[in-house]
Amino acid sequence: MNTRTGNTNFMHQLAAFLKENGTLVALVILAVIFAFMDDAFFTPRNITNLARQTTIIGIISVGMTLVIIINGIDLSVGSIVGLAAIMVTLLMQSGMNVWLAILVTLLVAGVFIGLWNGFWIAHYNIPPFIITLGMMTIARGLALTLSNGSSVPVTDPLFPKLGGSYISPAISGIIIVAALVLFFFTLYRGIQQRKKYNITIRVQKIVASTIITAAGLGLAFWVFTDYRGIPYPVAIFTVIAAAGIFLLNNTMLGRRIYAMGGNEEAARLSGIRVYRVKLIVYSIITTLSALSGILLASRLNGASPNLGNMFELDAISAVIIGGTSFSGGVGTISGTVIGAFIIGILNNGMSLLGVPTFYQLIIKGLIIILAVWFDVLSKRKSA
Amino acid sequence: MGEVVLEMKNIVKDFPGVRALDDVNFEARAGEVLALVGENGAGKSTLMKVLSGVWPYPTYEGDIYIKGKLCRFRNTREAEAAKVAIIYQELNLIPGLTVAENIFLDRQFCSVVGIVNWGKVFSEAQSLLNQLGIKGVKPTDKVGELTVGKQQMVEIAKALSKSAEILVFDEPTSALTDKEVDALFATIRQLKEKGVCMTYISHKMDELQLIADRVAVLRDGKTIGEVTPMNEITMDEIINRMVGRDIKDMFPKMEGKRGEKVLEVAELHLKHPTIPGKKLLNKVSFAAHKGEILGISGLMGSGRSELVSSIFGAYRSGVSGEIRLHGKKLKIKRPKDAIDNGIALVTEDRKALGLVLGQSVLNNMTIGSLETVAQQWGIINKAKERNLAWDYISKLNIKTPGLDVAVDTLSGGNQQKVIVAKWLNTSPKVLFLDEPTRGIDIGAKVEIYNLLNKLVDEGVTVIMISSELPEIMGMCHRILVMCEGEIAAELDEREATKELIMEYGTGSKKKGE
Ligand SMILES: Nc1ncnc2c1ncn2[C@@H]1O[C@H](COP(=O)(O)OP(=O)(O)OP(=O)(O)O)[C@@H](O)[C@H]1O
Ligand SMILES: [Mg+2]
Repeated sequence: MNTRTGNTNFMHQLAAFLKENGTLVALVILAVIFAFMDDAFFTPRNITNLARQTTIIGIISVGMTLVIIINGIDLSVGSIVGLAAIMVTLLMQSGMNVWLAILVTLLVAGVFIGLWNGFWIAHYNIPPFIITLGMMTIARGLALTLSNGSSVPVTDPLFPKLGGSYISPAISGIIIVAALVLFFFTLYRGIQQRKKYNITIRVQKIVASTIITAAGLGLAFWVFTDYRGIPYPVAIFTVIAAAGIFLLNNTMLGRRIYAMGGNEEAARLSGIRVYRVKLIVYSIITTLSALSGILLASRLNGASPNLGNMFELDAISAVIIGGTSFSGGVGTISGTVIGAFIIGILNNGMSLLGVPTFYQLIIKGLIIILAVWFDVLSKRKSA
Repeated sequence: MGEVVLEMKNIVKDFPGVRALDDVNFEARAGEVLALVGENGAGKSTLMKVLSGVWPYPTYEGDIYIKGKLCRFRNTREAEAAKVAIIYQELNLIPGLTVAENIFLDRQFCSVVGIVNWGKVFSEAQSLLNQLGIKGVKPTDKVGELTVGKQQMVEIAKALSKSAEILVFDEPTSALTDKEVDALFATIRQLKEKGVCMTYISHKMDELQLIADRVAVLRDGKTIGEVTPMNEITMDEIINRMVGRDIKDMFPKMEGKRGEKVLEVAELHLKHPTIPGKKLLNKVSFAAHKGEILGISGLMGSGRSELVSSIFGAYRSGVSGEIRLHGKKLKIKRPKDAIDNGIALVTEDRKALGLVLGQSVLNNMTIGSLETVAQQWGIINKAKERNLAWDYISKLNIKTPGLDVAVDTLSGGNQQKVIVAKWLNTSPKVLFLDEPTRGIDIGAKVEIYNLLNKLVDEGVTVIMISSELPEIMGMCHRILVMCEGEIAAELDEREATKELIMEYGTGSKKKGE
C-alpha cells in the first residue's frame, strides 16, 4: 500500500519533471541515439566541435528570443551575419586595426541596422516580418556589393584566434568548477531568501535544477579538460546567454519586454516606452548577429558574402523548440539554449553519420514540427 | 415556478493552491431567475464553469443532474447539446469578425454544399438584436469597433440564439447602460414565461430585487444558508450571508474640504480618429481640487473615458488643449509623461488595457513603477518587490494563492484590485479611476471607497468616473455631467439629484439651463 502510493507519487513527479523539461529530455535522447549510432559522437573532440558550431546560431537565438517575446520576428539575421563577415574582413584588409574593425562592424552592421529596423517597425507600425524581410535582401545585397561577389581572405594574424582559439584545459577546468561553486552559492542564497520572505520552496524543482546543472557542468568538465579546452566562441556564447537570462529575469528592461509581449497596449498605458524598447530589442538582435558573423569569419579565416544563409530559420527554430511562444509574452533563454543545442546536435550528428544534406533538411524540418507539437500537446494537457 | 431542472450535488473544485468550491449544493427550477451572489473569489464563476463543461468532468468532484439525469460533460460542446448556455463574465468574442458571425460562430447556416447563406445569417442576427432592443448595432459591424457595453449585448444575443433551457448570466450588466439593462430584463422576463431556468450572477444588489425570484449565496466556496425566495429575505441579510458581517455604511462619504486647485484642464479637444471634422471631446474645461472627490457622470459614449484618457496621454494624436498641474503647464505626449508627473489612470477595460494576462500577479502589480523596486542599472530587487506586493495584497485584501500565479486566474474583482495596487504604487498626485468598482463585490466596494477617502486625506486628488448614480452621488463632492463630448453641467453635491444628472446626461437639459 505504502510503496504503491510512494510509487505513484514518484511517477507523478517524474511526469511533472518530463513536462517541465521536455526539450531537455529530447536533447538527451538525441544525444544518446547518436552516441549509439556512431562511436565518434560522444568524444570530447566532437562535442567541443559541436559546441563551437552551435554557438554561432546560439548567439543569434538569444536575441531572437527577445524579439519573439515582444511579438516580433527578425528575418534579416542571416544576411547580417554575411554582411558583418564581409565588412570586418574588408576593413582589416584596408589596414584597420583588428579591434577597431570589429567595433565598427558591430556598430554599423549591428546597432545601426537594428535601429533602422526598429525605427520602421515602431514608428510606422509596419509588421516586423515585412521590414526585416526587406532588410534580409538589403543586407545580403550589400554583402555581395561590398565584396564584389567573391570571398575575402583574412590577412591579420590576430583575427583568426578569436574564433579558433581555446582557453587552456587547466583554466577551463578551474572556470567550470568555479561555476559549480557559484551555482551552489546562488542556490543557497535563493533558498535563504525564500525562507526569509516565506515563499514556498519547491524541493523537486531545486533537486531537478541541481541534477541538471551538475550533470551539465560535469559533462563540460570532462569535455573541455580532456580535449583542448573551452573554445573562445563557446565562452562568449556562455557569457551572452547568461547576460540574456539575467536581463530577462532581473532587470526593468526584461520585465518591460515580457509585459509588452503579453499586452502591448496595457504596457504602454503602464508607462512603458514601447518605441524605445523596440529599438533596443531590434538593435540587440542585429548586434548579436553581427558578432556571430565576425566569429564565423574568424573561425573560417575568411568571409564569403553568402555566409549565414538560412540562419534565420535555425535561430527561429531554436527559439520555438525552446518553448518561446509565437503569441508573445512567454519564453526563456535557457529554453532557447537547449533548442539551439538540439539543432546543433542534429546538424553535427547527421553529418557524422553521413546523412546526405538533402535528407538532413527533411529530418530537421520534421523534428521542429514534432517539438512544437509535443509542446502544444503538453500545454493542452496541463490546462 | 416549475420543477427542479438543474441540480449540482457536492461539487468540489480545486485549483493549485486554492479550493474554489467546497462541497457546494445548488438547484434551480424551470421558469425562475435564481440569483447567485457572493464576494469576489467566492466561486460563482467557477461553479458555472463546472456546469458548462469549461472544467470538464474528472477535474471536479460531485454530480450534476439535469432534469434528473446525471450529466458528465467532457467539454463545452456536450453542455451546449444539453441546452446549457452561459454568458461569461469575460467577453469571448472575436474582435475581427462581424456581429452576426460572432453570434452564429459555431453554426453558420449552410446549404448542402457548405456555402454560407449570408442573407439568413444577417437577418437572424438582426432579429435577435431587435429582440434585445439593441440600437446602433448592425449585424455587419465589426465587434472590435463596438463599445464594451454593446459587445456585452452581442454576447447575450449569442447565448440567446442557442435557445437554451438552462441559461447562466455571469455579471451581464456590468458594462451596460440603463436602457440596455431594461431591454435585457424584459427579455429575461419573456424567457421566464417560456420556462427557461436562469441563474443570474451580479454584484448589483438593486438588480436582484428587480429580477430575481430566489437567491443563493456562496462564501469561500461554500453555500451559505438555503436557497431563499427573494420576498423572504432582506438585502441586509443577503449581504450578511455574503460577507459574514453587516455593512452599515455603503457610501462612507467624507466631508469635502476643498483645498488648492491641483489639476486644471482648459479647452481640451479630441478629434475622432477616422471621421474628419467630428470631435469626441469639445472645449472641455474643468478643475480638480485637493481634499475632494470629483465625479464624472454621463451616459456610455458621452466622452468620459476619452476625457481621462486624453489627459493621461493615451492617444497618439488628435488631442489639443491645455493641462496644468499646480499651475504648471504640462506637455503630456505619452502615458509615461503623465505618470512621471504624478497622474495615474485606472482604466475601464481591465482585460484589454489594464492587465497583462498570462503573467503573474507580481509582474502586473509593479509594471507601472519598476523604478520603485529597482536598484542601480535597472536591476530589480526581487525581495523588495515581493514585500511591496504582499503589502498591497494585505492592504487591499486581494484574494490570491500567491504572487506568482497568472493574474487571469484571480476572480474579476481581485483582478481589479491588482490594477488599483499597480497605480497606487506610482504614488500618484492625481488619480483617475474609470469605473473602479465594476464587477467588485459589496465588501470590496466599501474597501475601495474607504481607500479613496484615505487617499484624499493624504492629499491625492481623486477623480472618478462611474455609471452608477448612487455611487457618484454617494461618494463625490462635485460632479461633472458629460453629454456628447462636452461638459453639460458641473453640480455641487448639495444640488445634485438623480433626476438632474439624468437630464443633463441625456441632453434633455442643455448646458447652462
Ligand atoms: N483558472 C484558474 N486557475 C486557478 N485558480 C482559479 C482559476 N479560476 C478561478 N480560480 C480561483 O478560484 C476562486 C474562485 O474564483 P471565481 O472566478 O469563481 O470567483 P467569483 O465568485 O466568480 O468572483 P467575482 O465576483 O470576482 O467574479 C478564486 O480564488 C480564484 O482565484
Ligand atoms: Mg466571477
